[in-house]
Amino acid sequence: MNNSRKTLEFKFERTIPAPLGEVFDGWLDPKIPGNPWNAADKLMLNPKVDGFFYWTFKGTPHYGRFTEVERPGRIQHTWVSPNTLGEESMVTVTFKKQGEETLMTLVHSDLPDHELARGHEKGWNYFLRIFREQFGAGSRKKYRWDDAHPSATK
Amino acid sequence: MDQLTDILIAISHPSRRAIIGQLANGPARFLDVAKPFDTALNAVTKHLKMLERAGLIERQKQGREVFISFRGEPLRQVAGWVHVYERFWNERLDQFEQYFTDKKKKEKKEKK
Repeated sequence: MNNSRKTLEFKFERTIPAPLGEVFDGWLDPKIPGNPWNAADKLMLNPKVDGFFYWTFKGTPHYGRFTEVERPGRIQHTWVSPNTLGEESMVTVTFKKQGEETLMTLVHSDLPDHELARGHEKGWNYFLRIFREQFGAGSRKKYRWDDAHPSATK
Repeated sequence: MDQLTDILIAISHPSRRAIIGQLANGPARFLDVAKPFDTALNAVTKHLKMLERAGLIERQKQGREVFISFRGEPLRQVAGWVHVYERFWNERLDQFEQYFTDKKKKEKKEKK
């Protein structure tokens, strides 16, 4: 194994408005929108230690093996896809009680850094969505062409 | 500095993002751009210069007036910088959170 390759790690956090056990179960239930299995075109899922998964998303195959399944606090599995160049990356999801809600943290680590995994055309829409949401949520007065250029509409 | 760095610096400031948001609705004159800000005109000029250097705005002369307009093309570079899994997990987690938010709302409504 080449240990000198450059790898990336991404960390995401969300506060989910539901109790710990429900969120944990929801993450492993393919019927619940938002978990990776729900997006699958084809799915084989065995969420127990040393259980495997295979799923395709928009025609792209993903494989993995569960290494930790500790209800209700932690799930860890490997993650292999063309975007990892066929190498094993690691996904760790932890769940922590936060009052009546659940703090969910997902870390995707050991991702090889290479151009294939960089965003392409789809990234444009993603970025625009973030941008739109940011502006949409702002309190600034919405700019109107007619307000700024009254003579142009007369 | 490369252009990606210029773009990231340009969009890192809330005032400059606000200017982009304003110009995304259509071109505007300098004073129209500056109007919503409490800061000095000089500060707005500096923000515009940074946006111009990043290629995010351009100035066009129309008669005696100069209009400033937004150019979205450079943002493609930022999109290309976003990792495929950064995008994937953000989208999945947003949807997962939304599912539970909607469920909670529905349960509250049914209790009433």
